[in-house]
Amino acid sequence: MLKIKVKKGHNINIAGAASGEILAPQKNTTVSLSPENFRYIKPKLLVKENDSVKLGDPIFFDKLNPEIKWPAIASGTISKIIYGERRAVKEIIFNVDPQIENDNSSGKDKKLSNKDDVVNYLLEKNMWPFITQRPFNKVANPSDNPKSIIVSLANTAPLSVDYNFTLASNKDSIISALINLKKLTEGKLFVAVRPGEFNYLSDLDFIDIVEVEGPHPAGNVGVILNHISPISSKDIVWTVQGHHLPILGKLFSDGIFDPTMIINLSGPIVKNPSYFKSRIGASLESHCKGNLSTDKARIISGDVLTGKESMMNGYLGFYHSSISVIEESFDRSFIGWLHPGGSSKYSVFNAYLGGNKSPYSFTTLQNGSHRAFVPIEAWEKVFPMDIYINALARSIEANDFEEMEQLGIYECDEEDVALCSFVCPSKTDVGAIIRKGLDTVYFDK
Amino acid sequence: MNFLKKILAESGKLFDEGKPLSFAYPLWEATDTILFSTDSQNKSGPHIRDNMDIKRTMFFVVIALIPCYLFGAYNIGYLYSEAMGISSSVMNDFIIGMTYVLPILIITFIAGAICEISFAIIRKHEINEGFLVSCALIPLTMPPDVPLWQVFMGTSFGIIIGKEIFGGVGTNVFNPALTARAFMYFAFPTKISGDKVWAVGPDGYSGATALAIPANPVEYDTASNLFAASTQFDYSLTNMFWGLIPGSIGETNKLLILLGAIFLIYCGIASWRIMVSCVFGLVFTSVLFNLLSYLTVDGILQSGGTPNAMLTITPLQHILIGSFLFGTVFMATEPVTSSHTNTGRWIYGFLIGVLTVIIRSINPAYPEGVFLAILIMNMFAPLIDYYVVQSNIKMRLNRNV
Repeated sequence: MLKIKVKKGHNINIAGAASGEILAPQKNTTVSLSPENFRYIKPKLLVKENDSVKLGDPIFFDKLNPEIKWPAIASGTISKIIYGERRAVKEIIFNVDPQIENDNSSGKDKKLSNKDDVVNYLLEKNMWPFITQRPFNKVANPSDNPKSIIVSLANTAPLSVDYNFTLASNKDSIISALINLKKLTEGKLFVAVRPGEFNYLSDLDFIDIVEVEGPHPAGNVGVILNHISPISSKDIVWTVQGHHLPILGKLFSDGIFDPTMIINLSGPIVKNPSYFKSRIGASLESHCKGNLSTDKARIISGDVLTGKESMMNGYLGFYHSSISVIEESFDRSFIGWLHPGGSSKYSVFNAYLGGNKSPYSFTTLQNGSHRAFVPIEAWEKVFPMDIYINALARSIEANDFEEMEQLGIYECDEEDVALCSFVCPSKTDVGAIIRKGLDTVYFDK
Repeated sequence: MNFLKKILAESGKLFDEGKPLSFAYPLWEATDTILFSTDSQNKSGPHIRDNMDIKRTMFFVVIALIPCYLFGAYNIGYLYSEAMGISSSVMNDFIIGMTYVLPILIITFIAGAICEISFAIIRKHEINEGFLVSCALIPLTMPPDVPLWQVFMGTSFGIIIGKEIFGGVGTNVFNPALTARAFMYFAFPTKISGDKVWAVGPDGYSGATALAIPANPVEYDTASNLFAASTQFDYSLTNMFWGLIPGSIGETNKLLILLGAIFLIYCGIASWRIMVSCVFGLVFTSVLFNLLSYLTVDGILQSGGTPNAMLTITPLQHILIGSFLFGTVFMATEPVTSSHTNTGRWIYGFLIGVLTVIIRSINPAYPEGVFLAILIMNMFAPLIDYYVVQSNIKMRLNRNV
């Protein structure tokens, strides 16, 4: 067993963590699949509005890689297709028909013995998009040979779902998923867990357990890989979201696509932060309606650091498993920069008296104006990788391809540097810089 | 408050793009955000942000400097009363000192604000709070009797040449406050070279600074003996620590500087690595020089010339004499012009310590070596970073083979 102890980082003490009971949401009558959740693809639709579809039917494919198709995440009808600029498909909305949905017994256990079998099975079932890759954090390319595969069951992001709780009843499907994922690589299959969690995994001799300790971003796959098996410019590592393991597991063992999963709704202005038995692409309204203490709310699909801003009538992103809600605040306090401190100020710097103790109600306020970058060792405090993030950001801004590669752009992803943006006194969006760098090297390849 | 907010919001419209006052937008933005914290929103990326911003960061450095100002003013008055042979109360001393400190402070801020604001308007960038720190630092490095027009010249030079021509805060190579200090040192040497004492007193009042004593001894002796023999001022270690000696306004009391250092380190604003390694470098080199002086005077390396008493200054004396601590705590740690990597910070600080002693001891023409040492290392900081980053690149290349 590998052990990682991450020291640099920070667990943000944010109010509104979900409590440990699982509720049923108000009816998920519509769900959505948005091609915008997938990077670097050119979607081509296979369905029209009002078509009736069944779970797992192909909905669209990638023109750049036509063998990869995306599955219907519900049985029912396609109620609406929303187009963006230049008729790019933005969102496909399904009307869920529970009648057809329950009649989902098509599958049969299939013997999958090697990589090709598993790949073909996933492609044929339109389930390939669950497999993503590093670098670039995009849908994997089936013809690649990954150096290793990594799954992180240690979720450290603020207000994210606790896998030890949400996946507690999925032992069999998780094992089934891991058995088949292992066939995809000649290298290792790393599974990251927190100490004392998922103890049954230690019986599986084909996986390499990585025990992760420390504050966020310790549980990010990028950070873990940087510690145990760094990605070079030629490497590709595949990864699967922890909450997608049961879905893949059921697909492998029973041959059925079950899009249900446990998600959480949390945040300082959520009246009753809790877990929900929900599904991929669920409507946010069915979870949030009547559960928010103010109308001035920013509803985020995903966690507060890396999630995507959405609206009441929006939907959960394909890879997301939590809904976070914070207040849209426009408060301007008089001479705010002179504020002595107290419970209304949160900072990783010791710059306020008596802060950080009780869970803090963060808002959308930037808490300062954007300024030229002043390197006071803020990023380094919360960036636990052996990368000079400051130098890397500079090389990206200077568009220096070679240096970006040399400084380890392939090992980073936006989510790994989200805390850097959080702490930056100059309010720099480090994630956007890293994404710009990744895009640059991606399109150059 | 709401009334004020409304006025600001209304007046802000005059500064929008296309409006007659749009050129002065940075000025309005600065006023607006000084009065009320900004309501800028997190757009993408992290939806929540830490409460620390550049305003507060810079303001904290200024807070750390305030005790130095207060003591500096008192010290000027105290030395004045001593020189005039009158007895005076602490308050009275303080007020006398303030009559010297305040004009310098005001002139510095006027010069600094003119430069910063005009560049912000011309270059269309925000007014960066960093100039407050530069302007708060400059008076503390000045002798109390410096002519105000020289302060104005020096500050303008420091802000423009030290910072603005490189693109403003964040891209400057040299510490603006030290650039100002260096400019004045070389442009107006009669007032600020630092071999003669800087204190206010009767006409023609002068004396030797602590560093000038071993630099120009009448007869060779160790520095400690020379200090003890000096009658005009008390250059004992304790008195140099407490700071009742002539010097630049802000550097004499070492306790207040140390308190400032602790404050800045605790808040996570200044780099403790730089401070510690500066002291390491200084101690290392001065011990080496002590050894050298021992060998040249009494030992095997006896040379023909006059021995250099500067070599006999002990590490502790080096730390307490002159502006070493002030420069280490407030100048060397300036984040933009120092190294940007932690390994680099260790090297950068160490070399500042080394260079300080070398400039002080080997070349007694420049008795105060700290500011030159820091400026030289400002110049080399990017080079240090380059090699630190290269070693990371090499490590990554080897790993990927």
